[in-house]
Amino acid sequence: MAETETRARTGTTTTRTAVRLEAVTKDFGTVRAVDAVDLTVRESEFFTLLGPSGSGKTTLLRLVAGFEQPTAGRIELAGDDVTATPPHRRDAHTVFQDYALFPHMSVEQNVAYALTVRGVRKAERLARAHEALTTVRLDGFATRRPAELSGGQRQRVALARALVDRPAVLLLDEPLGALDLALRQEMQTELKELQRTTGITFLLVTHDQDEALTMSDRIAVVRDGRIEQTGPPVEVYERPATAFVAGFVGTTNLLRGESAVRVVGRPGTYSIRPERILLTDPAEPPAGAAASSAGRRTVTGRITDIVHAGAHTRFTIALPHGDRLTVLRQNLTGLPQSARPDGEIGLSWDDKDAFPVPS
Amino acid sequence: MPAAPTPGSRLRLTALLAPPLLWLTLAYLGSLAILLLSAFWATDSFTSDVVHTWNTDNFHELLTTPVYRTIALRTLSIAVAVTVIDALLALPMAFCMARVAGRRWRRPLLVAVLTPLWAGYLVKAYAWRVMLGEDGVVGAALAPFGLHGPGYGTAAVIIVLAYLWLPYMILPVYAALERLPERMLEASADLGAGAWRTLRSVVLPAVRPAVFAGSVFTFSLSLGDYLTVQIVGGKTQLLGNVIASQVTLDLPMAAALSAVPVVLIVCYLAAVRRAGALDSL
Amino acid sequence: MRKRKTSAWRSAAAVCALLLTAAGCGSGGDDDKGGHAPDRLGKGEGKVNIIAWAGYAEDGSNDPTVDWVHPFEKKTGCQVNTKTAGTSDEMVSLMKTGQYDTVSASGDATLRLIASGDAAPVNTKLVPHYKDIFPALKQQPFNSRDGRMYGIPHGRGANLLMYRTDKVKPAPDSWRAVFDDAAAHSGHVTAYDSPIYIADAALYLMRAKPSLGIKNPYALDQKQLDAAVDLLKKQHKAVGEYWSDYQKEITAFNGGDSVIGTTWQVIANLTKAEKAPVKAVLPKEGATGWSDTWMVSAKAEHPNCAYKWLDWIVSPKVNAQVAEYFGEAPSNRKACAETSDPNHCAVFHADDEKYFQRVHFWTTPIKECLDGRKDTTCTDYAQWTRAWTEVKG
Repeated sequence: MAETETRARTGTTTTRTAVRLEAVTKDFGTVRAVDAVDLTVRESEFFTLLGPSGSGKTTLLRLVAGFEQPTAGRIELAGDDVTATPPHRRDAHTVFQDYALFPHMSVEQNVAYALTVRGVRKAERLARAHEALTTVRLDGFATRRPAELSGGQRQRVALARALVDRPAVLLLDEPLGALDLALRQEMQTELKELQRTTGITFLLVTHDQDEALTMSDRIAVVRDGRIEQTGPPVEVYERPATAFVAGFVGTTNLLRGESAVRVVGRPGTYSIRPERILLTDPAEPPAGAAASSAGRRTVTGRITDIVHAGAHTRFTIALPHGDRLTVLRQNLTGLPQSARPDGEIGLSWDDKDAFPVPS
Repeated sequence: MPAAPTPGSRLRLTALLAPPLLWLTLAYLGSLAILLLSAFWATDSFTSDVVHTWNTDNFHELLTTPVYRTIALRTLSIAVAVTVIDALLALPMAFCMARVAGRRWRRPLLVAVLTPLWAGYLVKAYAWRVMLGEDGVVGAALAPFGLHGPGYGTAAVIIVLAYLWLPYMILPVYAALERLPERMLEASADLGAGAWRTLRSVVLPAVRPAVFAGSVFTFSLSLGDYLTVQIVGGKTQLLGNVIASQVTLDLPMAAALSAVPVVLIVCYLAAVRRAGALDSL
Repeated sequence: MRKRKTSAWRSAAAVCALLLTAAGCGSGGDDDKGGHAPDRLGKGEGKVNIIAWAGYAEDGSNDPTVDWVHPFEKKTGCQVNTKTAGTSDEMVSLMKTGQYDTVSASGDATLRLIASGDAAPVNTKLVPHYKDIFPALKQQPFNSRDGRMYGIPHGRGANLLMYRTDKVKPAPDSWRAVFDDAAAHSGHVTAYDSPIYIADAALYLMRAKPSLGIKNPYALDQKQLDAAVDLLKKQHKAVGEYWSDYQKEITAFNGGDSVIGTTWQVIANLTKAEKAPVKAVLPKEGATGWSDTWMVSAKAEHPNCAYKWLDWIVSPKVNAQVAEYFGEAPSNRKACAETSDPNHCAVFHADDEKYFQRVHFWTTPIKECLDGRKDTTCTDYAQWTRAWTEVKG
């Protein structure tokens, strides 16, 4: 899109940084919601802040939007220091979790609001509002009131409203949280598509790891007001920097201390993704022992639980000494004969799939 | 679609609703009907007794005597002025209470606004009489600026009525502002609107029905008032006074006069209803 | 929807009809208006409800030394509830409620109360002090009908001209000060808020414009009324406020909001008591005034106590107290011996019928001219009421 290119040209020398946070801290009374966070979001990137509720990710977003003032630190938008700039002078728009549409305005007026405020002439205003509505596939709803729309439609209006004047950054606060699963998945695809076609920097906040993994170019995992790890979805998933990340992003088998020595064969803390473990018939050496050969680790255990979940099946396997492993298996081929409740089963994984994480 | 009520539940509902409905019809609409009806009677001018002969002289007199038109217009203007002043005062006050003041200050502020309602009407009106008098504090406060107090008269009536009815305007506006989600204001600022723009485009439309709701009180209370004007109105004559003075002498004429504020209020309610304000009452 | 509306209208109509019937029932013809005077009195009912002018039923709350209500209660066991009225119209309407036993009605209320049947004839034999009332006050047109007394005369006096001695100079001696010269005190002139005040203007016009031919300020033909209304409209421009509540009049003079206007002696006294520099005079044109009568309600619930009150209020000592406090001439000639100022009766011309010819007692204006003119019809009180509304604009 033409506007995106314009923005790219005006991008500063700081290698096209859309958002930068430097040692940003935010205290609410005695509670530290954000603790010396450094963060860089590149231009035209789909960046996600992923974390459990209360982790401070929404506060981070509100700091970028300007709704909150940092207790300490510096915030930049496109290279400009906006730490003290009020929200209405920041080139960033927010899509709120509850959409925050103006109930007394029509869809069209809602969408055109940013243009109205800037004094854009009516004809142009309407044209661009309709363009934005078309982008979110809501042309034809222009004269309705927000109250007459469904949740998904309101979500789209909120998107159109925030996109209508092509802000440098779009801030999305759990935008899909209120939608049902099917609609959520549909919107995930649409959001990603929208980001790609508009080239606008998206900064999304979510607690949903699927959402984060599906849509993002990069993810920052937030915990207790700090960023635990930043990186592309694959990296965050495959190489969690901390035990928390490993546990929060996807499911994992976390092994530490004695368990690590027994199961992985080395001291430390290790994460093994359940889908990386293969199920085999009980192997030699006999049950209970673990062995390594040719870069593979093999153990034997007993199946305590089998959950069939459509495309895959989840096994819970008890190892001797009380260790437990979860195994995910795509339902592609036949299972080993012993893969039945209480059956003896062999497990094996590549040594490098037991990924060491700092504890 | 809710299920149709069973005969038993319908009976119980009827029994529950009948007494209040009867009360509403008899005491409320009934008295209004009687009032309107008595406007078509006459009065023995000597004994002031009501003579039950049907005629429309009262309305004829009401419509043809210029002084009644003058008084009706004056009353209407005062009611409008009071309503406008109350709206202008209530908006910033309610905004401070609901949005600016900290959460723990809201209740004390609300109580402060409501407290005057507990004091007697006459007490407050007489207090204003003292304050607005020749040697009252209002005059004394204005004296250093070379200004003169308003004295007793129309201005004093507007001031005192605006004071008396202000809580009735603040309360609905406050409630509307408190209900207004913080998100709305943030969304407006987020989309580039400054404080004034947000006030104009988001806050005011959101409280508009509440202002109308409050204005129903301020307008109709002002329209019917006759005590304040007696106390601080000087020689000002309002519909309420004329009705009050006629009630003793010429009840049918007073009834005919009472139809004027009733008609004005009905017109006002109709206008306000169109604006959608009654939905929030 | 339509059907529901129709039925709603139908029930509303039914309610109206019901109420109409109820309203109609209360107005049955009753030719024997006013009931009968009792032949003898029974025991007191322990209570009496009084409508009085300010200063007529003092219980010491305004001035601890001015109290004739408590001694009455002690003597008779009748608890007194007093309702102070500001105008004759108020008295008439209060009496119509039937909740009061007795009223100190002026001449512009008495005849209306007699005609409407709200006041009962009084058996003067049951009021022992009646025999000492000045004969000139007995069997007057405003307190009797067909030779029957409808009340006990209380006293009489004149409406005075009060002014602030510090603001109004030189001292006025004519009503001109509140009419043709009112502009001198624009915004601070006050007048009595009642249609009967039109008579004050008429009284002034009797002298100021003899060509109008006004003989009696309560007998005005249309032309004369118009002249009075014009004068009052002129006065209106200078009026600060009208008064009918005596407390309001006191604070207005005390604060300087009013500096000149009509008053009663009792108001002048009370204002002086608040240290305001005021003086009340009887202007040279004479004045309107009142001759009051204690009447008994035809629907009195406490007639015995009412009669006891009638006798008490005209007993020499009390009559003297009231007369001195209110500033009027007593009705009981023996009261003249009881006044604290031995000259009170002389000062207030208690027995001076010549003086009272200059005072035009409040009377209700009626169509038949009260001055005896037969060639024209006069304006009645209803017209005066409308005229008064117009004056105030």
